[in-house]
Amino acid sequence: MNKVGLIIKREYLTRVKKRSFIVMTFLGPVLFALFYSGAIFVGMSDSTDHNVLVADYSGIVSVQDSTTGKLYSRFPRRFESTPELTYNFVKTAEIKQQFKESPYTLLIELDDVALHDGKVKLYYKKVPSQLVLGRIEDEVENALEELRVVDSLNVSYADYKRMKVELSWYQVDINASTDEETHKSEQAMVGLGIALMIYVFIFLYGVQVMRGVIEEKTNRIVEVIVSSVKPFQLMMGKVIGIGMVGLTQFLLWVILCSIVSGLGSIFLAGSGEMTMAIVDGAAQAPESNQAMLQATEAFGFLMQIPWTTVIFSFIFYFIGGYLLYGALFAAIGAAVDSETDTQQFMLPVAMPLVFGMIISSFLIMNPDGAMADTFAIVPFTSPIVMMVKVAMGETGWLLVISMIVLILSFLGTIWVAGRIYKTGILMYGKKTTYREIWKWITYKS
Amino acid sequence: MSAVKVNAVSKEFSGHMALNEVSLEVPKKSIFGLLGPNGAGKTTLIRIINQISAPDSGSILLFGKKLKPEHVGLIGYLPEERGLYRKMKVGEQCLYLAQLKGMSKSEAKEKLNKWFDRLEISAWWDKKVEELSKGMAQKIQFVTTILHEPKLLILDEPFSGFDPINVEIIRSEILRLRNKGATVMLSTHNMESVEEMCDNIALIENAKVILNGSVNEVKNQFDPKCFNLRMTGNMISFTNALWTNFELVEKKSEGDNHQCVVRLLNGKTLNDLLGVSIPVVQIHEVEKVTPSMHDIFIESVARAKNREEMVEE
Repeated sequence: MNKVGLIIKREYLTRVKKRSFIVMTFLGPVLFALFYSGAIFVGMSDSTDHNVLVADYSGIVSVQDSTTGKLYSRFPRRFESTPELTYNFVKTAEIKQQFKESPYTLLIELDDVALHDGKVKLYYKKVPSQLVLGRIEDEVENALEELRVVDSLNVSYADYKRMKVELSWYQVDINASTDEETHKSEQAMVGLGIALMIYVFIFLYGVQVMRGVIEEKTNRIVEVIVSSVKPFQLMMGKVIGIGMVGLTQFLLWVILCSIVSGLGSIFLAGSGEMTMAIVDGAAQAPESNQAMLQATEAFGFLMQIPWTTVIFSFIFYFIGGYLLYGALFAAIGAAVDSETDTQQFMLPVAMPLVFGMIISSFLIMNPDGAMADTFAIVPFTSPIVMMVKVAMGETGWLLVISMIVLILSFLGTIWVAGRIYKTGILMYGKKTTYREIWKWITYKS
Repeated sequence: MSAVKVNAVSKEFSGHMALNEVSLEVPKKSIFGLLGPNGAGKTTLIRIINQISAPDSGSILLFGKKLKPEHVGLIGYLPEERGLYRKMKVGEQCLYLAQLKGMSKSEAKEKLNKWFDRLEISAWWDKKVEELSKGMAQKIQFVTTILHEPKLLILDEPFSGFDPINVEIIRSEILRLRNKGATVMLSTHNMESVEEMCDNIALIENAKVILNGSVNEVKNQFDPKCFNLRMTGNMISFTNALWTNFELVEKKSEGDNHQCVVRLLNGKTLNDLLGVSIPVVQIHEVEKVTPSMHDIFIESVARAKNREEMVEE
């Protein structure tokens, strides 16, 4: 045991002391934040200003000013121009040909079909962003709706708005003690996020284990080491040591991220209006308090996630899943001579992991199905699938069985991996096949 | 009680016999040469003694006791394929390897300092292995092998990669360790060093021990019963005198000065040879021809191969 401790210590310290580890620890959250906000920014922003020409042949949404002869919106407070988005109306037919050479960026054709079916033709020079499209869509949709309401019903648009029903579910679990509303799909999303972290962790550090084994093998130091310790001790020391490096990095990231996000929210609170604009672009300058209330309501489901179980299971599946795959990655490293040879063995190890991710994303649609339960028990997918289910409130026998199966199977996998490792680390120059590996596993000792 | 006793050890790798009923004994406090052509099974045997792999059958006794995991501390092993962690610092690495052999950190540090001073390599302590030359790294590896003062040293080609000066240093260190009571198993293709250093040898060919014993015994076994004579006189009379009891193997003449290698036949002795020679020539010098380990190696491997071919036919 003492020797395993020495190996763990070496594996841990040499990695933690590396410059790349320190850099990644500090850069990781920054990169993540940049990447994340960058992704949002790219999706949301549209730097080009849009000049929209509305071809309203039959005067559906526009009327003519009797003195200037200019067309303007029939409804007050609709099609109002902003610096980024301006609307102009035109009545002329055959405007399509002229649009190409005109300074306008978008052309909307409103005709009776549009009024009747809600199908509106939009010509573009460059594809506009979803955000811009959404804003124009709202504008046109509301205008057409108002027109229909005012023309065919005998009520004001404001009255109509008041009468209109928008249905939403108030889901309650009959087995729960209270009549509290449940938000299973939101909870599943949180679970999926946590599962994704486990997945990334297993991959990142599993590959490190594999590299470490290959390094020792190509260095030839492995023969010296196994003359002092058992190959199994070396393998476990490596897997555990690298796992601890991962946990350390993860923990540091959590700490750093909470500091960064803490600072971030202080900064954002200072410019509250901007926050609101981002949170809800359609909301027309709501009171800050009201927005806060909405936000609390929207994230209320977080309170329903059984955090104690989630954190406990997270740590369990994090470690269990890593040990299961880490040992396999070590076996792959032992079976090959260089990293370029790892391809053929990587696939069967990576497949179930990727499969687990895909299953989990489908699981959100049908969380209590038999398939979901099955994959929550199968050890190669359980760290991911079960995590989603736990976040959704699963705490019963399924969790217990899943955990027991995972423990048993990582013990089994480590045993198999140990046998492959033992023979593989001293094999050089031969291209390893699956048949060969099977022989290694079944060697009598 | 011998340091190592190998008892009918066999090992098979997927249809290939690596060791076939190998038995040998390494006496204590001696240097034992484990010889054999490439692929004969030496490394397999060494790995079994190091408990890196296990025999299919047979047993190994280390200082009279059955091989156990605790024994790794008694052995110092220098594998043929050298290797150290390239990115690790020399000192750190030596400490790590010593601790894996069961030494405490402080003890390892103290002994390392002594050895580094002895070999004049103290300046390398904080260098990374990748900054060292091949020979330097070999020296470090030698130190890590012997640091824990193993009772049994197993050295596989310890001189490869060293310049003549360092070969001398390593050679004298090995002899010094033997004199201090260590047993050394030396696997090498360098027959010169076998002759100089080894007390006993075993020659393995094709998974079997084909020659075993003390260097003197082995040499006697391969005694060509030849003598080198330097003489003057009539060569024809000399060859006539040899007749059927002696064979002239080689001769070199410069006028009346001759140098001949003569083999004794039919149980004749040197006295008999001198008896027939003295009447016809003037003898100046007689020297027994002893076989070199190099010749013995080649000859016994060739013999073993012939035997196998005959069996196959």
